[in-house]
Amino acid sequence: MSDIVEIDLNVPDEGLKSLSEETGTGLSVDELRVIRDYFSKEGRNPNDIELQALGQAWSEHCCYKSSKYYLKKYLFNFDAPQNLFVIKEDAGLVEFDKDHAYAVALESHNHPSAIEPYGGAATGIGGILRDVVCMGAQPIALMDPIFFAPPTTPSENIPKGVKHPKYIFSGVVDGIRDYGNRVGIPTVAGMTSFHEGYLGNCLVNVGCVGIVRKDDIIYSRVGGVGDIFVLAGGGTGRDGIHGVTFASKELDDESQTSSRSAVQVGDPIMKEPLIHACLEANEKKLLTGLKDLGGGGLSCVVGEMALAGGFGAIVDLENVHLKEQDMLPWEIWVSESQERMMMSVKDENLEDVLAIFRKWDVPAVVIGKVIGEKRLVINYHGKKIFDMDLEFLTEGPMYKRPIKKVPIKNKKVEFPMPSDIGATIISLLEDYNNACDDWVIRQYDFEVRARTHSPALVGRENFETHADASIIKPIEGSNKGLAMTTDVNPYMMKLDPFWGAAGAVDEAVRNLVAVGARPHCFADCLNFGNPEKPEKMWEFVQAVQGLAHVVGKIGATFVSGNVSFYNEGPAGACPPTPAIMGIGMVDDVDKAVTTPFKNSGNLIYLVGTTKDELGGSLYLRKMGIEGGVVPKVNPYQLSNATYGLVELMGKGVVKACHDISEGGMACAIAEMCIGNGIGAKIDLKEDMRPDIELFSESNTRWICEVERSDRAAFEDGLRSHLAKFMAIGYTEGNSLKITKEGKEIADLGIDKMIEAWQRPLWNIMG
Amino acid sequence: MKRLDASKINVCVLRIEGTNNEQEIFESFKRLGANPHFVHLNEFKGLEDFQCLMIPGGFSSGDYIRAGAIFASRIRSTFWDALVEFVKDGYPVGGICNGFQVLVELGLLPGFTRSLGSVNACLAQNDSARFECRHTLLRKTDSKKCAFTHLLPEGETLVVPSAHAEGKLMFSSEKVFERMEKNGQIIFKYCDHDGNTDAGYPWNPNGSPHNIAGICNEKGNVFGMMPHPERSFFKENANGYSGKIIFESVIKYIGDRF
Repeated sequence: MSDIVEIDLNVPDEGLKSLSEETGTGLSVDELRVIRDYFSKEGRNPNDIELQALGQAWSEHCCYKSSKYYLKKYLFNFDAPQNLFVIKEDAGLVEFDKDHAYAVALESHNHPSAIEPYGGAATGIGGILRDVVCMGAQPIALMDPIFFAPPTTPSENIPKGVKHPKYIFSGVVDGIRDYGNRVGIPTVAGMTSFHEGYLGNCLVNVGCVGIVRKDDIIYSRVGGVGDIFVLAGGGTGRDGIHGVTFASKELDDESQTSSRSAVQVGDPIMKEPLIHACLEANEKKLLTGLKDLGGGGLSCVVGEMALAGGFGAIVDLENVHLKEQDMLPWEIWVSESQERMMMSVKDENLEDVLAIFRKWDVPAVVIGKVIGEKRLVINYHGKKIFDMDLEFLTEGPMYKRPIKKVPIKNKKVEFPMPSDIGATIISLLEDYNNACDDWVIRQYDFEVRARTHSPALVGRENFETHADASIIKPIEGSNKGLAMTTDVNPYMMKLDPFWGAAGAVDEAVRNLVAVGARPHCFADCLNFGNPEKPEKMWEFVQAVQGLAHVVGKIGATFVSGNVSFYNEGPAGACPPTPAIMGIGMVDDVDKAVTTPFKNSGNLIYLVGTTKDELGGSLYLRKMGIEGGVVPKVNPYQLSNATYGLVELMGKGVVKACHDISEGGMACAIAEMCIGNGIGAKIDLKEDMRPDIELFSESNTRWICEVERSDRAAFEDGLRSHLAKFMAIGYTEGNSLKITKEGKEIADLGIDKMIEAWQRPLWNIMG
Repeated sequence: MKRLDASKINVCVLRIEGTNNEQEIFESFKRLGANPHFVHLNEFKGLEDFQCLMIPGGFSSGDYIRAGAIFASRIRSTFWDALVEFVKDGYPVGGICNGFQVLVELGLLPGFTRSLGSVNACLAQNDSARFECRHTLLRKTDSKKCAFTHLLPEGETLVVPSAHAEGKLMFSSEKVFERMEKNGQIIFKYCDHDGNTDAGYPWNPNGSPHNIAGICNEKGNVFGMMPHPERSFFKENANGYSGKIIFESVIKYIGDRF
């Protein structure tokens, strides 16, 4: 049959190399040799579809061949009592309450978004929703950490083959908006960060949280021999072919045209009923297994589901419903077309399952069944075209790649103090990395499902300030909530990947604590350069160790995540970017705390210790100074302050709280003034230069508002947890006044701060 | 007069692909003791068993053409006659956000009794030309006729979230507006913290010419609004009113009448 081509592997090494390129499988010569040995034992050559399937299964994206050694060594050896089922599947499962669990997933969709921002970002949402649904969970929140080059980059600085960052940023937000809003899941948190290093390769990460009754949890594995594979959702087309192999190499100046077909086409109005139908079939106990079709499409899902159950599978490929009719068998098998789910169903439940999908107008077809032997067999119009050992197919290689240390410029720098501190504060507030993100946030429906107890914008209507974390109340009739945040600082990562990564976890914890949540679990999306380059691999290993430095000591662990390598384009590699999603438990949402000051005359405290740590800070960047000491993290101090503050918040002692991050203490207090239009009078007491005290970005710090009558309760509470704190002023008036040794060094009206902080992104993006 | 108990009130929450605010409407009725039912249009068997029809928000069929147009057209082709009877009999029909757009596309809103079904308004694209999610403040007008708001006193201000790209209510002529105002069909107007109803953007998030956020038909039993009262069910104002009052009002209306 002409639509199946036998591939001759008995050729010299150069031949194998060109074979890999011609087929687009991305397999290395070493990997092809292993495959050659396997097929010589089978006594034949592989068919194209078999080699393509191996290319998918053995891609970096699917089998984590460069990262899993280090992840296992440093990150996966922590546990927490609330973890139910973590790391192993598409989403991690963590206990919510006696009857419920929540599912957590975080992924990247970087390469597709760099090529086609709208479709790439939209299908990123589609993919992460499926990861949560395939655990039987109802998605309740989406999160989007996104990273671009400055949208103000002059056009003449854009290299060949790269799209302008303003265009990419705008397209990505449009894609997230149009998919997330249509599918009816609120986009509640995220971050937008700009750094020149993202010029050739933007990062678009996407996270999702879902809620599931414990007795409705389903896994991505078949139940037993004879189970029927039902493929449901959109048709299979030529969109998204070689998506995972495309994601597992660097972009070049040809990628824009040559890789366009690797980007899928999203259809939220197929996804919305698909979610309903899958969850309905699962709740009626009609399924034995459920898995989404993501990277690698059918080629990954069938084998993985069968093998996870301890079985094999036989597939009739011609039954797959197609978007276009002349597709080759291997294209059908590896296509990553969106909005598809795979179910395994017992024969007696098949008709009931199909009826549910008919009701929802969602196509569902039988494509195969489970067999006892751990092999995967594919027939196409009656002819066997694929027959392989499943363990060989899905195992994939593992590499311990070489690393090479990059010198760190982590030193204190000397520079003169600016003469006008007030003007400096304004310049930090109006920096587009620090300014209000509402140009992005308001395009997303952050309140659909009516479960958003506290959104990303809080305060007076139309004068809102940033929240540290959003809170979702997932269960009707229960006051328990989940707080959510995503964090990382690429500038600190670039200077020092170990402390930058430790700081990312610290920031996630700070943000959760600031709203009154106990850190409950984390997910990580590790975006790095080419792992075959020892310097990039070193950044990765440093970052993983930095994450481990903090995570083991805070009572919450990584439960899910994703590694995205090869984030390099014509303009170089992106900064190492481990995006951290933090999920916190709020025992009673009515006791949650928000950013804005609540009343005049209350005390303002700094919790934590300010050090001369300006490396990667917004302040030094504004001054045009490179270097500086990247903030370190003491995980024990983080733990002490965390439990001290969360306990006090549960007692209602803290009226407002905000973590200190970009722009330091000055910008944190300014944002607290903006939300409700209540000013502050701050007296700087540390024995250090006032600019350093105001703009240092030392970790593990918060600003808290406390009523005078609660002074003793607050101070005693923190002391009993050995947490450091300092009274620095009180709320008053309608401006931010700062004094040092009795001398006023800044007096900024709230209106002026709002004007500086609220407009920048609108002015750039329109 | 014997009142119909809330537990005897059956509410049809109609859904198709892309309607995505049905869960919160369902729960709003459930919390008040009524019996909401999800009904997929593919399984729709008539309105005989229901005392109320709700069309939820979302992006029905993706709204890839004018918002609400596809859902409206599918309703017209499945149960238009029954729906008109239902409305004429005085049963309440509510549409929120995309549901409001559907009711306008169906010609049930503004819904002058003599010309039911003729379309004389539309919800046009926001002046900002984009989807916007923000908390809006709504001021209740002096109208007393609407089944969904009769328990809310004149001049009360509610915080109700808006989230739409096409919410600018336009009429085929100014006469339509004048007639509606005379009939007491204007129910909610966007306002600022001082209750001022011509405060402009962003208080009026879409640029609706008369700052209109919600209207009812001439008879008062069909009601639509762009902001989402089901999302501010628990967000009480100083006088204890919240989005809940919409659902309380319609349950009482049904209880008193049927």
